[in-house]
Amino acid sequence: MRIITPMVIITASLAYILGLLEPSMWAKAGRNLAIFISQLGFEESLLEEALAAAYETVLLSLVGVSLGTIIAYLASPLTTPAISSPRLSGVFRLIASGIRSIPAIFWAILFVILVGPGPRAGALALSIYTSAYLTKLFYESLESIPQEHIDTLRVIGLRGLSLSMALYTHIRRQVLSNILFMLEYNVRTATILGFVGAGGVGYYILHYVSLLNYPAVVTFIMVTTVFVILIDTISYILRTRLS
Amino acid sequence: MEAERALEAGKAVVLNSVEFSYGELKILKGVSLEVDAGSAIAIMGRSGSGKTTLLKIIAGLLRPERGSVRVQGLDIYRDGSRHIWGRIAYIPQSIGLIEGASALYNVLIARAPEHLLNFIIGFWSRGDVRDAMEALRIVGLDGKARIRVDRLSGGERQRVAIARALFQRASIVLADEPVSNLDRDTAENVVRILAGLSRNGVTVISVLHDLDLALSYFSRVYVLSDGRLREIV
Repeated sequence: MRIITPMVIITASLAYILGLLEPSMWAKAGRNLAIFISQLGFEESLLEEALAAAYETVLLSLVGVSLGTIIAYLASPLTTPAISSPRLSGVFRLIASGIRSIPAIFWAILFVILVGPGPRAGALALSIYTSAYLTKLFYESLESIPQEHIDTLRVIGLRGLSLSMALYTHIRRQVLSNILFMLEYNVRTATILGFVGAGGVGYYILHYVSLLNYPAVVTFIMVTTVFVILIDTISYILRTRLS
Repeated sequence: MEAERALEAGKAVVLNSVEFSYGELKILKGVSLEVDAGSAIAIMGRSGSGKTTLLKIIAGLLRPERGSVRVQGLDIYRDGSRHIWGRIAYIPQSIGLIEGASALYNVLIARAPEHLLNFIIGFWSRGDVRDAMEALRIVGLDGKARIRVDRLSGGERQRVAIARALFQRASIVLADEPVSNLDRDTAENVVRILAGLSRNGVTVISVLHDLDLALSYFSRVYVLSDGRLREIV
């Protein structure tokens, strides 16, 4: 209860500042909701286009995960003091942290500028964000390995890439689980990258919203939601089995 | 230098007045030890007496504050411990196997430094697989080569670690309490295989808690107490 009282006060204050307590806003929202509901529908003629857009969304998510995994696989050992040096690992962690602190949609804007609009920009944006995020998840898993295990392998003569590969085998369940987690994240993120022109279903949704074609918007959202739920479910089942 | 090395001929490990502390706690107070090549010695002592620290120093994993450590004639803390890594097998208390991988993989990994490409692509030569299977056969595990090590018993896991040392062609095996969690019969079997490596010219240095096993299978037995090493047999 101690936390709830200040939260209520903070919420009410901020809602007042943002104008969320104005009755006129809620009245307008109600009217718009009624219009939106009255125009709801499913445009079968757009189904093929929606499926293609959802497919493109999944495709760029997969590219983001696969390329991001390769980069993180190579980078994570460099960010782990037990494998590289403490100074080097500090530098690489700083770089990964910097990349991770910038949201994927900002990377998408950058790549739209660099390579032009389309799914390539989205795939590159997701790849770079995924690589930084997976680097963090991988090095946390690598750090969970007891030092004695690492010592045993070092004494055998393993170092660098061979040592990293042996340690990845040791944590491969966590690694696979982390990759699946990022796939779920990427599929959801990829749906909005199109808002900035980086491919995927977001581009079409924004286009039909601007035309006030709500049945088309609903069609694209429904198809995308089915795809996202499907991938989320498969990934969740696999992750549960892994753990 | 040559004279010094000549004097050490036949010695696999020579420790001279080794000292080591954890903060204020001085755990090794001038440990000296000479281990003949191809012999098997046991080190005993209470928990916290510094046995693991001593093994790690011999393995080149912990640098002593004072004293010298020569392994196969090399001063490992002056010349660099990497020169002897590959020739030593270190079996820690946790055994140090790659979980989720098969017994065969855990043995084959010992030759990854020599055959890096094979290791990376996961394709080993027939000769390597044959040798690894032979190492597993010696420890009685050739029938469980493809089974994941996390599904093996404690004794079997210890034997996988010994098979790895055999396959590695390590000239020195350092084992830290290899039988601490095993029943008497299994423990005796593991110690017999471990100490038996010395018949093939391998130097074995093992930390043990069981005096009977130490006296039965090791040519020399030492006790580490109050930071000093004493030979009792």
